[in-house]
Amino acid sequence: MGPKAASGKEKLMEEDEVLQAVILADSFDKRFRPLTTRTPRCLLPICNATLLDWTFESLALAGVQEIFVICRSHAEQVKNAIKESKWSRPGSGIKIVPIMTAKETFSAGDAMRDVYTRGLVTSDFVLVMGDLVSNIRIDEVVRVHKERRKTNKDAIMTMVVKESGASHRTRPQGDSAVFVLDSETSECLHYEPVSAYPPTTMTRIPRELLEAHPEIEIRNDLIDCSIDVCSVEVPSLFQDNFDYEDIRRDFLHGVLTSDLLMKNIYCYVAKDGYAARVKDTKSYESISKDILSRWTFPLVPDDNHPSGHVYQHTRGNKYIATDNSVSLARTCKIGNNTLIGAGTKILENAQVIGSVIGQNCVIGAGSIIEGSYIFDGTVIGAQCVVKRSIIGAGVTIKEKTRVEKGCLVGDGVVVGPLAVLDPFERLSRRRDKTVVVEQDNDEDSDIEEIEANQGGASSILGKDSNAVVWPQGPSEDDDEDGIAAYKNQRIRRLGDDGSDLELSDDGSEASDEEGTESSGYDSSSDFGIPTTPSSTTFLPSGAMGESEFQREVAQSLERAFAEGHSVDNAAVELKTLRMASNVSLSRVREAVVSAIVEHIQIVDGALPQRKEISRVIARWGALINQIGGIDAEETVSALQIHCASSERFPLFGQILAELYQADIVEEDDIRAWYASPAAKGTGLKSGPTTENVKRCWAVGARMIQQFDEQESESESE
Amino acid sequence: MTSEVLDDPTQRVVENLAWKLRRRQIVGSRATALETLRVLHQVISDSPFSNMEQLVTIVRGVGRRLVEAQPKEHSVGNTVRKVLHHIREEYNTATSGSGAATISYSGFSISKFVQLGQPRKHTVLPKAESRGSLRENDPDDPDSFARSLRPVLKEAIQDVLDELETVYDNVSKNAPNHIHSDEIILTLGMSKTVEAFLISAAHNRNYTVMVLETAPSYGGRDMAKTLSTAGISTFLVPDSSLFGLMSRVNKVILGAHAILANGGMFAITGSLLAATAAHAHSTPVVVCAGQFKLTPLWNLYHEYGALDFGDPNQVLGFEEGSLVDKVDVVNPFYDYVQPDLIDAFITNDGDHPPSSIYRLIKETYDDEDNEL
Repeated sequence: MGPKAASGKEKLMEEDEVLQAVILADSFDKRFRPLTTRTPRCLLPICNATLLDWTFESLALAGVQEIFVICRSHAEQVKNAIKESKWSRPGSGIKIVPIMTAKETFSAGDAMRDVYTRGLVTSDFVLVMGDLVSNIRIDEVVRVHKERRKTNKDAIMTMVVKESGASHRTRPQGDSAVFVLDSETSECLHYEPVSAYPPTTMTRIPRELLEAHPEIEIRNDLIDCSIDVCSVEVPSLFQDNFDYEDIRRDFLHGVLTSDLLMKNIYCYVAKDGYAARVKDTKSYESISKDILSRWTFPLVPDDNHPSGHVYQHTRGNKYIATDNSVSLARTCKIGNNTLIGAGTKILENAQVIGSVIGQNCVIGAGSIIEGSYIFDGTVIGAQCVVKRSIIGAGVTIKEKTRVEKGCLVGDGVVVGPLAVLDPFERLSRRRDKTVVVEQDNDEDSDIEEIEANQGGASSILGKDSNAVVWPQGPSEDDDEDGIAAYKNQRIRRLGDDGSDLELSDDGSEASDEEGTESSGYDSSSDFGIPTTPSSTTFLPSGAMGESEFQREVAQSLERAFAEGHSVDNAAVELKTLRMASNVSLSRVREAVVSAIVEHIQIVDGALPQRKEISRVIARWGALINQIGGIDAEETVSALQIHCASSERFPLFGQILAELYQADIVEEDDIRAWYASPAAKGTGLKSGPTTENVKRCWAVGARMIQQFDEQESESESE
Repeated sequence: MTSEVLDDPTQRVVENLAWKLRRRQIVGSRATALETLRVLHQVISDSPFSNMEQLVTIVRGVGRRLVEAQPKEHSVGNTVRKVLHHIREEYNTATSGSGAATISYSGFSISKFVQLGQPRKHTVLPKAESRGSLRENDPDDPDSFARSLRPVLKEAIQDVLDELETVYDNVSKNAPNHIHSDEIILTLGMSKTVEAFLISAAHNRNYTVMVLETAPSYGGRDMAKTLSTAGISTFLVPDSSLFGLMSRVNKVILGAHAILANGGMFAITGSLLAATAAHAHSTPVVVCAGQFKLTPLWNLYHEYGALDFGDPNQVLGFEEGSLVDKVDVVNPFYDYVQPDLIDAFITNDGDHPPSSIYRLIKETYDDEDNEL
């Protein structure tokens, strides 16, 4: 890997405009099992080409020149597939580098950290998943992204989303999200995932978004294509936040809700083009349909089939391999939206409707294949019925077998004759006892368990079968989360319309829960600045953190003053403190201002005193504006409040003047502070402090007077 | 695959074009023809060959690769055939010296008339007889053949290129003879050839053009814009009013994607409708196209697939979620227009009726190249 990366970098130096892409080829979930026990998901075929090939082709269409494929499970297979594919031939114009990542990579976040530590990317790059089918002009998105980066350095990511209707076959139920976008800039302001079970019935939009943006769009009709144009900062952000796992749920949410990072993420709402991810068996079906009905043009089987097969397109979107190797019996019936691979035989009176048949398959006489996806080399006997199922490669289904909707049959399974599979049954081949399986242990133990637990299945597998049935439903030791996750999972299965789950959108049964949650939210927003509804809001940390935080800040600054830290380091320390105790920005500012004021020593004589003040302000003043966010008016009032109750009260005027000199506060800020009612001490209990507040205000008045005088002078000049 | 014989950079150029064709990054018959020529030029100047057969196999191999990559862009194959034809012609003149062996074209005779329908004689001449200054398969200097032939071959390719570049001018040369003053012309889609033809006619004639919008590509809108900027009185009309307007139209002028050997053509969607409506009103239908669109195929086996179906997005928005699942959308780019609906083809090689297109094709290409 070492020398390769080096040469890659050299190449980059020569041509600066190389567009890089990172493919996360591992799905980090098990939705396709048992199909994915022996092959990684990205090598599953869809319309007779592997998902990875579709992804490569989608990227090639967009002019990507260098692709890093991050693979984890079955990495060797992925590597070999890439080596043998047409992409490694000269003239493909694309350099594909497979990266094997450690077995400990359990999430997309881990993979991104790996990208960072290996230093793979050198400029803006495209991040996609290994199961993408798209014809969107990603280069256009990259152009928009780069354009935006020129004016706004904090725009770190652009997500591609595709418009779809509220209910759309390609928009998976249970895996959608609510996007809140600024209508003008399409900046993503808020993101909230929507789960199908328990049904998400409401979304919360932080109040400050409505204040900051005059026009916002709240959209629940977008397909998240998982195509992200990222800047180099993105992997490093993953590195910094080691708990980010999912790119959307953790990273996006984290960046949007953090007011420390000050980064922006934008959306690109694709009007033209098509993009979708094969996330589950349901989207597998809908994307297959989309490909066959040509939504992905020019990525269609008869035009630019990613595996290089050639198909003839005939009336009714039937695609039949052109090399004359397909044998169709005179009496067979081929329905619309069907793809038949090379070397396949369809025997007498068989019907194939809306299905994809791989290469070298045999469909027996009188069988009916409807809405099913059959991989290469599968033999289906006579008089079988297969409905809306995925049948793996090299499967033998013997005569008169019924496969009901939603079944997944793993590679090499034999079932029948006269077998009947219940809906949603999952089958895999019983392992050969003599062969030592070198797969990782957790999968092994899973399969062992399944093999041990045969007997409960109601499906009839037939006398020649070598199959084991995977259990349906959540296992007994699952907790409530597990059951919800299972129900969520169910909706995403092929052929499952979820009609037996209560998924009504108005979801009245959930309203009680909502009530308590929303009241909790309201109370949390009573703190002056509304807080975003993150999970931490509900912890009672707010009050406890307050006093502790003050003390911590004071200590940390004392240390900084004493040991002469740089302003940057001190600022980082403050940020960390703030995150740890979850307090608002104004508290930090107050603490910093008071600490700095206290740091000024009281000396006799006007001139030395002024010198002392300017020394401190020059050294530490910048810190006030580095704690994250600049609000000079608040700085002044914090200063006023602190001075009013401090022995350094007489210094207020001088400090203010010094802050003004150091450009930490501007004239306008002082005026704004002066005009605010709080500055005059209204609303405070009377006492010596209030007196002092009022006197401070008077000092301010004198300063304003000076400003006015200066202005009139400069005008008269 | 013969293309594997080719050395690396040439191979790369060929593959590159094949990719672009597959991905539809180059579309349109003229653009693809130009790109193909460019690649062939490089192939001929870079690849080693020491006799005629090798050269022909190399060029054919490249041609086959490109045609397989995108069988629906017919002008790729046409260009390769044309270049092959020119190569043989140059070779024959070079080998036979005075050209005594070739058919003499001088004079009128009934035999010549018969011969035109026959396969060209000179292409099957035994090469052993006619070895002039060229030495094939020279064991001492295997490159001598290539060296002596290359300049003429490059010239031949340059000829094809020139023809492509002047195609608009040559097609529109006769425009005033076809369009008369105060006529109403109907056209559709965006065709550069038709546009040049109409604009050139407008220099001498004062006439009116009706342009159909041509959904779903709406190329007619661009066409109407350019025509009216050129000072022609232009109407942009919706597709639905085609039949109603036809009674007033004097002539229908169409562009073509490919002209087939039987005199039919592939043309932008809507052409068939326009031609049929014109037929019903006995309005003449004239097709303007460059000669590079002549294709030695006829619409027998490719009737459906050759129409090149695009994505349904232009017709039915993807966001119509509830419809997408229930409706199959068919969005062909081209219509097949039968020969009996067309009255004349205006090419850069003169005007021809559909019934004599087969002859034109025979003259332009060699029979043995029909299957690349």
